[in-house]
Order: sequence, then structure tokens, then C-alpha cells
Amino acid sequence: MNPLIFTTILMTVLLGTMIVMMSSHWLMIWIGFEMNLLAIIPILMKKYNPRTMEASTKYFLTQATASMLLMMAIIINLMHSGQWTITKVFNPTASIIMTSALAMKLGLTPFHFWVPEVTQGISLTSGLILLTWQKLAPMSILYQISPSINLNILLTMAVLSILVGGWGGLNQTQLRKIMAYSSIAHMGWMTAVLVYNPTLTMLNMLIYIMMTLTMFMLFIHSSSTTTLSLSHTWNKTPLTTTLILITLLSMGGLPPLSGFMPKWMIIQELTKNSSIILPTLMAIMALLNLYFYMRLTYSTSLTMFPSTNNMKMKWQFETKRITLLPPLIVMSSLLLPLTPMLSILD
Amino acid sequence: MALVHKLLNGTCILRKCPKPSVASYPFLGTRFADYCSSSLQKPAPVPGKASSQRKTEGDLQGHHQRDVALDITCPEEKPEVSFDKAIKDELKNHFWRLKDDIVNRWIGPEGRPLHEVLLEQARVVWKFRGKEDLDKWIVTSDKTIGGRSEAFLKMGKNNQSALLYGTLSSDTPQDGESSRSGYCAMISRIPRGPFERKRSYDWSQFNTLYLRVRGDGRPWMVNIREDTDIIQRKNQMYSYFMFTRGGPYWQDVKIPFSKFFFSNQGRIRDAQYQLLLDKFWRLGSPRSRCLHIWCLVSVHFLACSQPPSCCILMAEREQVLVFLLIKALIPS
Repeated sequence: MNPLIFTTILMTVLLGTMIVMMSSHWLMIWIGFEMNLLAIIPILMKKYNPRTMEASTKYFLTQATASMLLMMAIIINLMHSGQWTITKVFNPTASIIMTSALAMKLGLTPFHFWVPEVTQGISLTSGLILLTWQKLAPMSILYQISPSINLNILLTMAVLSILVGGWGGLNQTQLRKIMAYSSIAHMGWMTAVLVYNPTLTMLNMLIYIMMTLTMFMLFIHSSSTTTLSLSHTWNKTPLTTTLILITLLSMGGLPPLSGFMPKWMIIQELTKNSSIILPTLMAIMALLNLYFYMRLTYSTSLTMFPSTNNMKMKWQFETKRITLLPPLIVMSSLLLPLTPMLSILD
Repeated sequence: MALVHKLLNGTCILRKCPKPSVASYPFLGTRFADYCSSSLQKPAPVPGKASSQRKTEGDLQGHHQRDVALDITCPEEKPEVSFDKAIKDELKNHFWRLKDDIVNRWIGPEGRPLHEVLLEQARVVWKFRGKEDLDKWIVTSDKTIGGRSEAFLKMGKNNQSALLYGTLSSDTPQDGESSRSGYCAMISRIPRGPFERKRSYDWSQFNTLYLRVRGDGRPWMVNIREDTDIIQRKNQMYSYFMFTRGGPYWQDVKIPFSKFFFSNQGRIRDAQYQLLLDKFWRLGSPRSRCLHIWCLVSVHFLACSQPPSCCILMAEREQVLVFLLIKALIPS
């Protein structure tokens, strides 16, 4: 793609998300979503093939439907409150429709079916943008309307997302699909605590983005899209296998890594609000995610899979240099000791 | 909808009743019509014409007279029709498969441990050891569009292979649209999960298609289709040729997936794309010709493998152009 055109499209994506996050007028928020959607489509199809085209089409259809539902909720809210500002959504119908629309944008259950299909069909770089940057805009709107969201619906979606994210990722050998199901599960954790303490949602989002960025960059670095190709990484860059091990365990929420911090905080917050069964269920279902992360680390880092001549072909290609990788690895694994500082968020 | 049709089919027990024709279900649509075409609806051979033709072509074809077509019923047996039993059996079957699906998920991908999936270098996907293996294939010819070709699939000797045989006729159907005709094909069925959910094969760790065949000395084509949810991609497929030697020995054909070229509605596209193997859907092997001939190929098994020498990712553009040149030179 022409670099100038690519830069323009990328700037439009950034601008769209910024408009959504900074606007207080519902129409501007909707415009921001649409700008973001239309600009991300050529980025998803950057490496064109029929599969990418299909993935982009599915993404466009689901996101357009979500935008349509969002507009309907905005208009219902306008009819009842007479205002366009995003203060509080008074009408329960508008609140439910808006929650459904934003859940569809985020990929929460039961609107999660597009996430693995789209992520699998696009390149690693596009998948990175899809699973990180594209979550910011809908999550910011959920943050702002959190006081008026129906708690039962949100918690049901959250728990189901954690379950589906864990269950769906169990059988996967494709790395992008594993990351997609991981994203669904993490979104579930974020939305579970949204009504109780929205600040923790933001903390979870921040750490999730760091970990997902790190994982995707490691996959790009080793040019791996399947578990098998990742298990041959030891052949070319043995240090990468250690980094993959640390990052995957962090994503699984194991102490003393960074990924444990948001889970700990969320369970603590839910327990403070007299909710015992819910965090117990969430912690148990998180074990499913940990199981398939562990299986990935077993084949990648803990064992040396037999390599064939096909893998030796990778020796001929220069390793891609990713500047941001070292600081991201540090941040996605060593931030747990900073947890006492989180008291300033209260 | 697919499940309803399956349940209705269950009332036609054991292939003893004529299947309800697709024309009687206009509301089901074309997509469902594709699902309805079944290997069991093989055209019954016309005894007079078929036997006179085959008698002149040796013992192998002469055996055909002793074969029993699948749709012919013994007049002494009465068909058993039990709607309730069919529904119960079908539901029980689907719930059993759902249970297996859930249990297999704990074991690993496709119900096998992960290390086994990662370490395997070859996998036999289709083999022919009994009638149930034939049911995984659909045999079709231009008879579906009004032509006069016929194709049949049956078990070979000692139940170790399948035999695809028939006649190809270049007589065009008299519909005013078709200018060419004469093809037959055997196509694998779409893998289905519980409640007829569409599935696909994940062959991403393999890079070669391996077939053991014994053909008639003529070229066949091997087509691959990817799983898709978009109807515009229905006619997109990847193809390559299989040149058979003619026997009597088995021939091992290895086709790297990188050799397959991309085509849409039978036309090769200028832009070629890599065949992505994580959503492998159907394999087909058609044969076409412009003369009235018989065709014959035995298939022992079809597998996918990962030979160490194959490293290429996709077909080069030059290979596609060479094919076009050869096609233009040979008179049709």
C-alpha cells in the first residue's frame, strides 16, 4: 500500500477512537465509531487474499450492526431524555440496547462468534490492532455509561465470556484463534468489575493491551501462526521461547507476573461487594485459559520438538527487529510489585 | 433445516425407498439442494445400453452386470417405515456426537492429544475399507445438468480400494445454454459435527496431498475448496492435475499444496493466492473429456503429509501461465 495512503488510513483509525473517547455528544461518538470502522477495513485487508476479504466482510457486517443498534439506543435515549449528552442513560430499553451494541463491538458473549473467525483470517499485525486498539473505544463508552447499565445482563455476559473464552481456546492449534479466545475471556473480566469499580476495568485493559501486544510481537518476531511453528522457535531464537513462556504465564494470571494484578484486584473488589460465588466461578474458569497457555508453553519452551528441513528454511530469513519488544516484556511481567501504588486510584 | 431433512430421510430406511427429490422441496433453496444431492442417488444403469457397451471392454467392466444398483429393492422385502424410531435414532445419534465432541475437547484437537497432532507427519484422511467409506463421497456427472455421462463408485476387490467408473459423453444437454459437456467427479462430503454443524479440516501442519491411485492413463484434476460463509466464494477453488499411468501397479501421487492454483467459476484468476489449509473443506476429483469414452480409476487412500523436501508456500505465477499455454496448443 502507498505509505501516504496507509498513514492517512492509520491516522483516521486513531482519530476515530480519539473522537469516541473525548466526545460528550452521542452523535459525535457514533461518527467516531464509523470513522474507525471504515478506516480499519483496508488495514485488515492489507495483505489481500480471499480469506482476508472474508474476514473483513464479517468484521464490517458485525460492527455495522452494532453501530446501527447503538444509533437506535441513542435515539430512544434522545426521545426520553431530550438530550444528546452522554451523562446518564435514563431509559432502560436504551440502556439494554446500548449494552448489547457495545458488547457486540467488544466481542462479548453471546456476540463473540466473529472474533476468532476475523482474527484468524487477517495477518498478525492487523490482528494486533484488532484485539488491542479496537477495544478502547467501546470500553470507554461502557466506562462512561456504567452507572446505568443493567447489572444482571452485564454480569451474565461477563461470566459467559470468561467461560466461552476458556472453553473455545482449549482445542486450538492456530495462534490467532487462541489470542481471540483469550481476548474474549479478558473482556469478560473487565466487564465483570465495571459496575463496581470502573477504574479497575481500565487497569485490566491497560495490562491486557500490554500483554497482547507482547504476544503478538513475539509471534511476528518468530513468524509463527500455528502451535507447530511456535514449537520450532527454539531452533532459531531460543531466547524467544523463554519470553513466550513468561508472557503466556502472565496472561494466564500467575503470580508473581503482571497478569496476576488485575485478577487479584477484581476478585478483591467483587468480594468487598459481598459477591462470593461470582469471583469463585471466574477464578475457576480462568483455569481453562491457563490450561491452554500452559499447553502452548509446554510445546514451545519446556520441550524441544523435533525439527525438520522445513523449519531450517527459517534460518535463511533475517529476524524481524521489533524495537518495543524489550520494554513491553518488562511491563507485561514485572509490574506486580507496583500493586500497592494502586491505592492512589481510590 | 438440515436436521429436519435428515430426519425425513431417516424414514426412507436403509436405502430401500426412493429418496424425496429436491424438486419437491422448493422452499429449501439452492444451498440446501447441494446438501441434498447424495452419493446414494446414483443413477441406475440402463441395463441394455450399459451391458452392450461394457461387454466389449473386457472382464473388469463385465463384472458390472453382477453389481446390484443401490436403489433397486428386492420385491419380497417390504420397506420398514417408522417415523418415531427414525427421529429417536437421529436425536440419540446427534446427542451422542455432541457428548463425544465435548469429551474430545478435553483430550485435544480433533480428539487426539496435542503432542500427537503436532508430531504427526502424515495422516490418512480417506480410505476405502467398506460401504461406510463410500458414503463419505458424492459421485456426480453432467447427468445433473441434462448430459449423458454416468459415473459410479463401488468397492474394489478385497474391500481395499474404491473404484470410480463410468462413461463420459460429450453430447451437450439440449437446454440452449450449455455448449460443452462431459464430466464426472467424486467429491468428498463436507464434514459435519453434531446437529449437522459444518466443520472443516485443519491441515495447516501438512504441505502435500498424497494419493495412491491406479488410473486409466488419462489426466484427472484435483480440486480443493476452503470453508467459507460468504456465498460469493462458493465457486472459488484450488486445482491441480493428476496424471495417471494406467496401471496395473498402484501409483503414488504427491501434490504439494503450493502447486494448486486459484480459480473462480472454473476460470484461472490472474491474481494467485496461497492455499490456506486451516479450513480445508472438500476435495474433488473431476474428469472431463470431449469424446464418448469410458473412465476408470481405483483409489486406495488419500492422505496429507509433510515431506521434508517441500518448502514452497504458493504456486508461482509462471506455473499458471505455462498451463494456459499447453491448453491452447492441444486440439480439443
